[in-house]
Amino acid sequence: MPATKRIRVALALVAGWPAAQVFAQSCAMCGSSFGPDDPVQRAFSWSILFLMATPYTLVGTVAGWLFYVHRRAAGRRRAAVVELAWDRRKVPAGETGGLT
Amino acid sequence: MRRRVTPLPPADSPPVSNTRLAIIVLITGESMLFAGLIGMYLVFRLAARTWPPPDQPRLPLGLTTLNSAVLLGSAIPLARALGAIRRGETDRVARRVELTALLGLLFLAVQGAEWARLVSHGLTLGSGTYGGSFYVLIGCHALHVLAAVTWLAVVAVLARRGRFTRAHHAALEMCSLYWYFVCGLWVVLFPLVYLY
Repeated sequence: MPATKRIRVALALVAGWPAAQVFAQSCAMCGSSFGPDDPVQRAFSWSILFLMATPYTLVGTVAGWLFYVHRRAAGRRRAAVVELAWDRRKVPAGETGGLT
Repeated sequence: MRRRVTPLPPADSPPVSNTRLAIIVLITGESMLFAGLIGMYLVFRLAARTWPPPDQPRLPLGLTTLNSAVLLGSAIPLARALGAIRRGETDRVARRVELTALLGLLFLAVQGAEWARLVSHGLTLGSGTYGGSFYVLIGCHALHVLAAVTWLAVVAVLARRGRFTRAHHAALEMCSLYWYFVCGLWVVLFPLVYLY
């Protein structure tokens, strides 16, 4: 592992260590206002987590779908070709050959 | 001899039409509204020691399950109407849209009757967090169903007048997307409120 990558991993571990010491709270109020194992604290915590996740999920889903649709449309444009008639008969000079 | 040409999509037509983008923005906004309401419900539900409170009536599960089937089943004729217009069978569209609207109305009527019974049993908007959260969440969904049924009725009238063709049926598509959203929302709300 290169030195810079090792330093980054070490920094991430040092930054994450304090969070591992306590059970993560979704907000400071939930952690300080309620006692341990309080159902109200748990309720607020889950609700906040749900409300945090929803916009990301919605925007991610819509953005992913738009990306997919644009990619597919671009692929279709690339693939759209004029299929030449391979078996076209040779026609005498001066005639159109039946092309419409 | 005819030269076969695979038609290129017009260079200026975007892959997602503006009307479709508009309805997606609307649905995303509506989803956030319901996410807030669900967050509110989760707070009350998870914070309560017993749910529903012992002195409050239970929600009618059997009837609502049947009603849910009616609402979800209503999406089938609408999908078939959309399929018909895409195939150019315009004469079959109006009847299928009307059937969807009727099923939506039936869902609302059963919900209304169910609510009247609950109110007579003492579950009102003011009877604590249980009644308040139930009526706000389910009521908000019912209002959306009512709006969607009105939209379906307008689309059905337009279809009867022959305003939709294979190439031009954006109103029907938008209405269908909104109806699917309303049905999908119920798939989330029904287990959360009635089963959890």
